[in-house]
Amino acid sequence: MNRSPAPRPAPGSPGLFGTVLIANRGEIALRIIRTLGRLGIRSVAVYSDADADARHVREADVAVRLGGGYLDIDRILAAAAATGAQAVHPGYGFLAENPAFARRCAEAGLVFVGPPPEAVEAMGDKIRAKAVVSAAGVPVVPGGAEPGDDLAEAAGRIGFPALIKPSAGGGGKGMVLVRSAGELPDALESARRTAAAAFGDATLLIERFVENPRHIEIQVMADGHGNVIHLGERECSLQRRHQKIVEEAPSPLLDAETRASMGAAAVEAARSVGYTGAGTVEFIVQGATGDYYFMEMNTRLQVEHPVTELVTGLDLVELQLRVAAGEPLPLTQEEVRLRGHAVEARVYAEDPSRGFLPTGGRVLALREPGGVRVDSGLAAGGVVGSDYDPMLSKIIAWGPDRASALRRLDGALAATGVLGVPTNIAFLRALITHPRVVAGDLDTGLVERHLDTLVPAGGVPADVPVAAALILHHERTPAEPADPWEVPDGWRLGEAAWTTWRLEGRDGVTEVLVRGLPSAGAEVEVRLPGGGVSGAEGGTPGDVPAPVPGGPPGGGARAAVRGRGVPARLAVDGDDLLITLDGVRRRYAVARDGDVVWLGRDGDAWALTRHHLGDPGDREGAGGDGDGVVRSPMPGTVLVVKVTAGERVGEGQPLLVVEAMKMEHTVTAPVTGTVAELPVRAGQAVDMDAVLAVVRRDGES
Amino acid sequence: MSGWPVLRSVCDPGGEGFKGNAEVNERLVADLAERVAAAAPGGPARSRARHVARGKLLPRDRVDALLDPGSRFLELSQLAATGLYGDEAPAAGIITGVGRVSGRECVVVANDATVKGGTYYPITVKKHLRAQEIALHNNLPCLYLVDSGGAFLPRQDEVFPDREHFGRIFYNQATMSARGIPQIAAVLGSCTAGGAYVPAMSDEAVIVRNQGTIFLGGPPLVKAATGEEVTAEELGGGDLHARVSGVTDHLAENDSHALRIVRDIVATLGPRAPSPWERAPSREPAHDPREIYGLVPADTRTPYDVREIIARVVDGSRFGEFKAEYGPTLVTGFARVHGHPVGVVANNGILFGESALKGAHFIELCDRRSVPLVFLQNISGFMVGRAYEAGGIAKHGAKMVTAVACARVPKFTVVVGGSFGAGNYAMAGRAYSPRFLWMWPNARISVMGGEQAANVLSTVGDADPDAIRRQYEDQGNPYYSTARLWDDGVIDPLDTRTVLGLALSAAANAPLDPIGYGVFRM
Repeated sequence: MNRSPAPRPAPGSPGLFGTVLIANRGEIALRIIRTLGRLGIRSVAVYSDADADARHVREADVAVRLGGGYLDIDRILAAAAATGAQAVHPGYGFLAENPAFARRCAEAGLVFVGPPPEAVEAMGDKIRAKAVVSAAGVPVVPGGAEPGDDLAEAAGRIGFPALIKPSAGGGGKGMVLVRSAGELPDALESARRTAAAAFGDATLLIERFVENPRHIEIQVMADGHGNVIHLGERECSLQRRHQKIVEEAPSPLLDAETRASMGAAAVEAARSVGYTGAGTVEFIVQGATGDYYFMEMNTRLQVEHPVTELVTGLDLVELQLRVAAGEPLPLTQEEVRLRGHAVEARVYAEDPSRGFLPTGGRVLALREPGGVRVDSGLAAGGVVGSDYDPMLSKIIAWGPDRASALRRLDGALAATGVLGVPTNIAFLRALITHPRVVAGDLDTGLVERHLDTLVPAGGVPADVPVAAALILHHERTPAEPADPWEVPDGWRLGEAAWTTWRLEGRDGVTEVLVRGLPSAGAEVEVRLPGGGVSGAEGGTPGDVPAPVPGGPPGGGARAAVRGRGVPARLAVDGDDLLITLDGVRRRYAVARDGDVVWLGRDGDAWALTRHHLGDPGDREGAGGDGDGVVRSPMPGTVLVVKVTAGERVGEGQPLLVVEAMKMEHTVTAPVTGTVAELPVRAGQAVDMDAVLAVVRRDGES
Repeated sequence: MSGWPVLRSVCDPGGEGFKGNAEVNERLVADLAERVAAAAPGGPARSRARHVARGKLLPRDRVDALLDPGSRFLELSQLAATGLYGDEAPAAGIITGVGRVSGRECVVVANDATVKGGTYYPITVKKHLRAQEIALHNNLPCLYLVDSGGAFLPRQDEVFPDREHFGRIFYNQATMSARGIPQIAAVLGSCTAGGAYVPAMSDEAVIVRNQGTIFLGGPPLVKAATGEEVTAEELGGGDLHARVSGVTDHLAENDSHALRIVRDIVATLGPRAPSPWERAPSREPAHDPREIYGLVPADTRTPYDVREIIARVVDGSRFGEFKAEYGPTLVTGFARVHGHPVGVVANNGILFGESALKGAHFIELCDRRSVPLVFLQNISGFMVGRAYEAGGIAKHGAKMVTAVACARVPKFTVVVGGSFGAGNYAMAGRAYSPRFLWMWPNARISVMGGEQAANVLSTVGDADPDAIRRQYEDQGNPYYSTARLWDDGVIDPLDTRTVLGLALSAAANAPLDPIGYGVFRM
C-alpha cells in the first residue's frame, strides 16, 4: 500500500504536482487524498504513533511516521523530502494557519497549498485585519481598538450593549459584555486583567454587541494572477460553545442582492491582503435588519467546505492545488452557479446529555449512510481517544431545495450507526428537525436556548434494554440442534421459567425477563428502574413496557409478575438484528464489548452493561442514582482520590476528580453512606463508566 | 445409523377412537398441569410473604437464579407428598432436580423454608436421598441451597433412625466427596441440628451474612442446656462461621451474591468426564408427537402398537428393530434420542418366554455396545398357565430380570401404561435402579390389576371385592406413586422426548462400570 511508483506529474496537467504531502489526519486528510487520487497525484500521509492504524495512513500512497505529532515541522519537512513531495497541503487546524510553517516550506522548496504567509499574518491579527478590510470598504462592527482609540470614547460612539475583547484573544476567552456606560470602567479593568493573564497582552478592543447574530461566511478563491472570486455563502449559525455543528449553503436568510454585496465585500477583503487560494470571510449578521459586519478571515480550507462544493459542483481542494501550482482560476465570478441546497452535520464523539463532554472508545461497529456525502475518518475497530479533536465525521446532504436537503440529512443520520463511541447523532437529528431550524430562523444562540428539547432526557428507550436482553439470550442459543441442555428456553416440567437479565443504562438497572427462545418467539416482561413492572398488560403496540403503577417492587415478588408477557421475536439480517416486540419490528445494529451490549437504531446508540448475578450494583435496591455505584463520566485519568475506603461520606461530597481533555470533573457521592469499594487510585486511566467507587447507603448491609 | 427405516404410522387423526383418546389424555394432562401449578408456589401465601420480606428469594427463584441463563431444569418428583401429611408439604418442602450451572449439569437440592420452616418429613428425606442417588449414579456435582430447621420433630421416628433416614444425607455427602463428586452448600437460612452437617460436610460452603445460621443447638436449646443467652447471629451467623469458626468458606451479602459464589465455585470444578457414547446431531421425529394423545387408548386394557409411541419419541422416527418376528410381544431395537444412541425395550402385550429371552439378549447387546436402554413399560405381567410354567417361563423371566438388573449401561424407564407384577421387574421398575423413572398420567402401577386382586383375594379369603378394587384403583394411581417417590415424576407424554434427552445427557457424565452378569438360569 505504501509502496508506489516514483513521483511523476499528474497526467494532463503538466503544471500540477506529482506528489503532495498532507500535513494532517482524520477526515480532512482522507478528503484531500481522494482529490489527489482523482487527479493522479501521489499522496503522502504522515502519522503520529496514536494514528499508526488510522484510515488516512492506510489510504495514502505513502505514509511516513512522525515521531511526535502533527505540529512537528522538522519531521514533516523531512518526510516531504524523503518522499519527493513537491507540495504540502496543511488541511485545517494544526499548521494550516502557521505562517512560520508556510515560510519553512518555501525555504525547503516546497509549495505550501495556502495563502502567502503575509496574508495569514494580516488576517491573524484581528485588529489589523479589521483595519485593513475596513479601509477596503468592507463593513466592520462599529467599535474602537487600542492603541489607536480610547475605548471609553469609542463606547460612547457605538452605544450599548458593547463587547470588550482581548486583542490577542480567540475562542471567546476574556470577552466581557457591557450593558451600560456605568459598567464600563470595571469591565475594562477586568477584561484587561484577564487578557494580560491569558494572552500576555493587555491590549483590548470594543465592539457593538450584536445580539443573537447569525454567522454567515463567504467562500473566496484567489489565484496568483489577480483573480478573486467568491463561491457564495455558508450559514453556520447552529453552534454550541462557539463551535459550528450544522452548516448549510446557501443561507436561508440571504437574497441574491445581499449575497452579491457580501460576496463583493469578501472579495475585497481577500484582495486587500493579497490573498491567494481558498479562504473564508466570516460575517456576523443581524438577522432582523440584514446588516452584516466583517468578523474575521480564515486563511485555510474550512471544515464545512463540502456544502459549498455540493452547491457549486466544484472541488475546492482541486482549485487550491491548481492555484498553488500557479494556474489561473478555471472560472470567473459570472461562471459560478449555485444549484440546490446542501447541509452538513458534524458527528462528534461527545455526549450532549453530559454537557457535550468528549467521549471515546473503540469503534465496535460502524455504519455510514449511502446516498449522501460522508467525509469520515472513522474505521471499525479504530480507537477514538482524547488525543485529537472529537469530530468523527461529517455528513453532507444535497437537495434541490432546503427542505429536501434537511430531510435527506435526517435520513442519512438515522442510517448512521457508530457503536462503541457515544456520539451526538441523536442530538443532531433533533436539531435539524427543530421547527426553528426547519423554518430557517437561525442564530448562534439557538442551540443553547433550546438545549432542553434538543438533548434527550438521557433515558434509554424502553425497547432498547429489551432488545439487549433478547440478544444476550439469543447468544446462548446453539446454532445447530444440540445437546438438549444447551437450549436456553427455560424449559420445565410445567410452566417454563423466566430468565432475568439485568441491564444497566443511563437511568439505572432495568430487569428484563425473557422466556422461550428469541429466534423461535419468546415472551418478555420488563421491570423498570423505579420498580415498575410491565408486560402482563398490553400498552400501545410496540411501545413495550410502560410501568404499571403500584406494581410489585423488584426482588422477591417474582411470582406476582408471572403471567403472559409481551411477544418478542429476534431475527438476524446480515449484520443487523430485527426485533419484533408486540407486533412492531425494529432494526438494530449491535456490537458487544465484554459485558457491554451496544445497540444502535435511528442514528442513536446505547450501551447497556450486563449485570451478573450478585454484582455489587445488582444488589437489592439497585437502580438509578440510588445504587451507590459511582462511575467515570468520561474516559480519562483519575487526578485525585479524596476519600478512603470505609470513610463516611455525605450525598454530594466530592470523592474523586477525573481529568480528560484538560477538563476536570469532580465525581461526588450519590448517596450518604460509607465508601464500600474504591478500586481506583490517582494517576490511573479509566474508561467511561468504569466503576470508581461504591458507596453503601446507610442502613444497607 | 440413519439407515434405520422410518417407522410407519397407521394412526388416523380423524377417527373416532383417536378423538376419544385425545380428549381423555388431554384431560389427564390438564389435570397434571393443574397439580404441578398448585404445588409450585410452596408454602402458604403468608409464609411466602414473610420469607420475601426478610430479603430472601423464594426457593424456585433461587434455583432459577443459580442456573445458567435460560437453563432447563429437570425437576424431580414435583408432586412428592401429594395427599400426605394433610397436604401441608407441597413438593415435600424441597425442590430437587438437574440443571446447568456454569455449563455443568448439577443436581440442585433446595429447601423450601415456606413449608414448615423447611423441615424434613419422611418423604422430604426420601426426596433428598433420591436426588443424591441421581448425583451419585450420574456423577453430577451436588449443590445444596440450605434453609431448613432440620428433622420434622413430630415424625422423628420416621426420619431419624433408619438406614435411609436423615443420617444417610451426610453419609452420601462423605462418600460422594470421596468419589470426587463435588458437594457444595449455600447456607441461605437456618441449618439447625442435623442440618448443620450439610454445609459442614460439604467440600465448599457459602453463608449469607445476617441470614444464614448454622448451629447444632439453637439459642433456646443453649439456654436450656447451659443458661447461656445468645442471639442466633452470635451463635451461628455468617460472620462467626466465616471469620471465627471456619465452618463456611465464603461470606455473601445476600441470596444473589451467595448463588453467584456457588456458580463461581462450579466454574472451577474442571471438565466433566468424557461421554461413554457418541452423540449424533439431533433430529425431530418424523411423526407429530402430539398424536400420542390420540394414540394412547383411554382404557389401559386396550392393546395398541407401541411402535406408534416410539415413532413419536426417537430421532427422525427411525428405528432399527431387533428380532422383529420373534417374541413379538416385546419390541426391541436401536434408535437415537436427541442424538444419544438408545436401545428401546417396549411392551406390545404380555411377556412370554420368547419375549423374555429376546429382551435378555437385546439388553446384553446394548450393554456390550455401551448403548443406554430406554424401557417403555406397559405390561400386565408374564403369561400364566400350565404350558407356560412347564415351558420354564419363570426361568426365562429370570434371565430378563438378571439382564436388566446387571446391565451397567444407564437405564431409563417410562411407564406409559400398566406396570403390573413381575413385568415391572423385567421392564426396569424402580427396584432395578434405572437412572430415572417417570410415569405418564394414564399409568397404573400395582402388583396385579384391581380386578385380578379382587378375584384372588375373594377366592382365598373373605375380602370384599369392591373394597379391593377401590384400594387398587387408589394405590395404582400415578399420583399415589409419585407422592411416595416410587418414580421421579409424572410427566406429560409430550415431554417424554425432552425428558429422555436431558436425562441421557446428564447420564453421559458418568463413566460406565465394567460388564458383569449373574448366573443366567438356562
